Amino acid sequence: MAELRDEKGLAKAERYYTDYGVRARELKAEGKKIIGYISALCPVEVLTAAGVVPFRLKGNVNEAITKGDAYMETIVCPFVRSVFDSAIKGKFNFIDGMVLPHQCDSLDRTSDVWRDYLNLPYFHFLNAPHVTDDPSIEFMKELLKLFIKTLEEYTGKKITDEDLKQAIAKHNENRRLMRGLYELRKVNPPLISGVEMIKVLIAAMGLPVDESNKLITEVIDEVKARAIPSNGLKKRIMIIGDQIDSVDIMDAIEGAGAYLVMDDISVGSKMYWQDIDTDKEPLQAIAERYLRKLKIPTNFVDTGGTYEDNLNARFGHMRRYIEEFKVDGAILFIYKYCDPYGFEVPAIKSYIESAGVPVLYLEDEYSTSTIARMKTRIEAFLEMMA
Amino acid sequence: MAEEKKGRAVATKTAASIPKFVRGNLAATLKAKEEGKKVAYAYIADGQDEIMRAMDIVPAWGESFAGVCAAKRDAEKYLQKAESDNFSRSLCTYATCTIGFDMVREELGGGAVPDAPWGGMGRPDMILGSAQLLCDPRFKWPQATQHYLRDVPVFVGSMYYPPFDPKMDHHEQEKFYVKYATEELRECVKFCEKHTGKKMDWDRLAQIVELSDRTWDLFIDTYELRKAFPTPMDTGDAMNTMVPLTFNLGTQEAYDFYKQLYDELQQKIANGEGVADPEKYRLIWAAGLPSWFALGDFQYFNSKGAVFPVEVTYRGCEKIERLELPKTNDPLEHIAWRWVRYWTHWYDKARKRPGSLPKVERIIEYIEEYKCDGVVFHSAFSCRSWHAGIIHQAETLKKVYREIPILILEGDIVDISSYNEADTHNRIDAFIEAVDSYKKRMN
Ligand code: SF4
Ligand code: SF4
Repeated sequence: MAELRDEKGLAKAERYYTDYGVRARELKAEGKKIIGYISALCPVEVLTAAGVVPFRLKGNVNEAITKGDAYMETIVCPFVRSVFDSAIKGKFNFIDGMVLPHQCDSLDRTSDVWRDYLNLPYFHFLNAPHVTDDPSIEFMKELLKLFIKTLEEYTGKKITDEDLKQAIAKHNENRRLMRGLYELRKVNPPLISGVEMIKVLIAAMGLPVDESNKLITEVIDEVKARAIPSNGLKKRIMIIGDQIDSVDIMDAIEGAGAYLVMDDISVGSKMYWQDIDTDKEPLQAIAERYLRKLKIPTNFVDTGGTYEDNLNARFGHMRRYIEEFKVDGAILFIYKYCDPYGFEVPAIKSYIESAGVPVLYLEDEYSTSTIARMKTRIEAFLEMMA
Repeated sequence: MAEEKKGRAVATKTAASIPKFVRGNLAATLKAKEEGKKVAYAYIADGQDEIMRAMDIVPAWGESFAGVCAAKRDAEKYLQKAESDNFSRSLCTYATCTIGFDMVREELGGGAVPDAPWGGMGRPDMILGSAQLLCDPRFKWPQATQHYLRDVPVFVGSMYYPPFDPKMDHHEQEKFYVKYATEELRECVKFCEKHTGKKMDWDRLAQIVELSDRTWDLFIDTYELRKAFPTPMDTGDAMNTMVPLTFNLGTQEAYDFYKQLYDELQQKIANGEGVADPEKYRLIWAAGLPSWFALGDFQYFNSKGAVFPVEVTYRGCEKIERLELPKTNDPLEHIAWRWVRYWTHWYDKARKRPGSLPKVERIIEYIEEYKCDGVVFHSAFSCRSWHAGIIHQAETLKKVYREIPILILEGDIVDISSYNEADTHNRIDAFIEAVDSYKKRMN
């Protein structure tokens, strides 16, 4: 397929987005082991170091849950239910195993369900702590050792410190490149749209790190070559949430007449913003990155100082994004039944609003059936900002 | 004015004293200031009970308060208050009910809230949360509370236990889990010392920990009396008698309560007094927090001759000797071992039966020991912690054990809007019929 071999950049991202998993299938056919994972909390470096392909599982907002509900309660977050529904329907039948990091109750309390019904050759629940103090880092290192041991047993290959260091270097490079792409959103109007961006983000998470690096580089080259359009007049929006992994809401935002210029979401900046320190012992550095640097609501932060200090420690990055990306308004897009994010809504909302930026809070059910309603609310929000 | 519904009548005299217990706990939080004591918002089964008791910190239990609001059908005003500041109705309703109450109290200046059920809770001086054991709200709720009580310091500790994996022997991981849990308890002590200005009295802590061990033992001894035919007490009462174990662990009152209950149950057994007359069906309440506003449903079961001699919910302890705790002179390490071993107690059994789960092994153990003919779960929509995974437990139970009748009720702990009494009773009726034919088949 010559045309596909020549395919590059955004066109390639489009295909990998639309036919998610297509590359993983090919790699599987080549004899590679594919390990699925969920959430930005999974230390993908360890999977890369093990010589397996980390493949992030995604849900499908366009597809009704038809099989999963027989196994998993509807009080579980709708994203998790959707991914499970896809998995149980065989959409990920090319994966050899799965890592479920302990991000939230919706994952923790369903881990038996994933393990027992998908029945994959490899399954590991990574019991990452929510607390991030020094004893927690030591604990996380023990968990990482255990995780490594299970992978070694599964692949029959030892994971050395050198393997980890190399994987860390590659993933740091991956993060650096993706941040470079985000840079191109800083201009006004942004050189890459929010819809294009989410496609690249999703495409990238389904690839081995080297291929992901190549894809991002191609997209950067392609986007940089675009003529700089005249000054944009639309409002610049940032979206905040967890597992937003489809174009639909991005499309609704941009379709309503805004530029989507930044995100604080699990498949987006949360994955790419913080590198792993390379001057530390690898497990220490990995533990610190995933517990302390990663900004997710299940990594507990308390400074011991004032409430304002705590807010800055928890959400200060959002204010930085607002400044750097010249954000005019933020959309908080949170799923029903998500306790970790749900309990933060008033705090995030008032924190961002106190920086003079309006916030629209939308509670969603991870389904395109709600999109029309969401779009109406977004339109009203943009009108209010005008 | 909220509609007050007559609660469930309890079968034991001892259980009838529980409202006094609960009121006493709430009142203690309001009186603490006068007595120069600090109040801490606390969350059950976090392993911090003994630390608080040893440091004279008065725990204020949101879960208890929200349960009271629900039982009095007077939670809606607080749920709505929380919702008005964008807390989703799908979040844990113990948390949103209590946060709504906090919001109201702050608006009134932080003092007593006039129309709060049973006087409400006193404003805390600190918040002691915990991660993993058991749920996300245990650390997100404290943070969310601080949004309204900005001057109140928050501590969140960790008490993790190894997850179940049929291919892995969790005993190999216990050591580092216990080490971590112990260190986190030590962090909790440091935090409490800082905010009370007092030093921990380690001898006193050791005594309290020992009293807790005895309370765990006595609790199990007492509850095992319910194996008798007819059972002298069922889950309807247990949803009350759990209070001292759950909210007053490490106090003499808790211990004495179970002594009194033990004596009463023995007396009932001697007299042949049961919960239902005649007792026709024995059921297990296999998982799920109850709908506090509908505890009367237990009586509905009883009216059909069905009793619950055993439940998993709130049986938050085990006989200490069965846990085979390693010896240690450090009371914090002892607490850590006790909880880690409690949570992993059914792992070995589960590994021995292919396809099983620890929670299912526990249910099977109780079905056999308490001679149950049917299984009831309750799935509360706002709590993922206890209620996600129930379908899997039910399916696994059928697969690895036997085709025993199972009923999964749906509702909530606090939010009454999800509840329909007529539907619930219809489902119970149908279930009882299934149990009846199962029993006939088995005989
Ligand atoms: S959206 Fe919330 S509940 Fe769902 S996976 Fe993310 S953190 Fe968990
Ligand atoms: S265990 Fe459930 S009901 Fe209890 S605080 Fe956690 S989420 Fe709420």
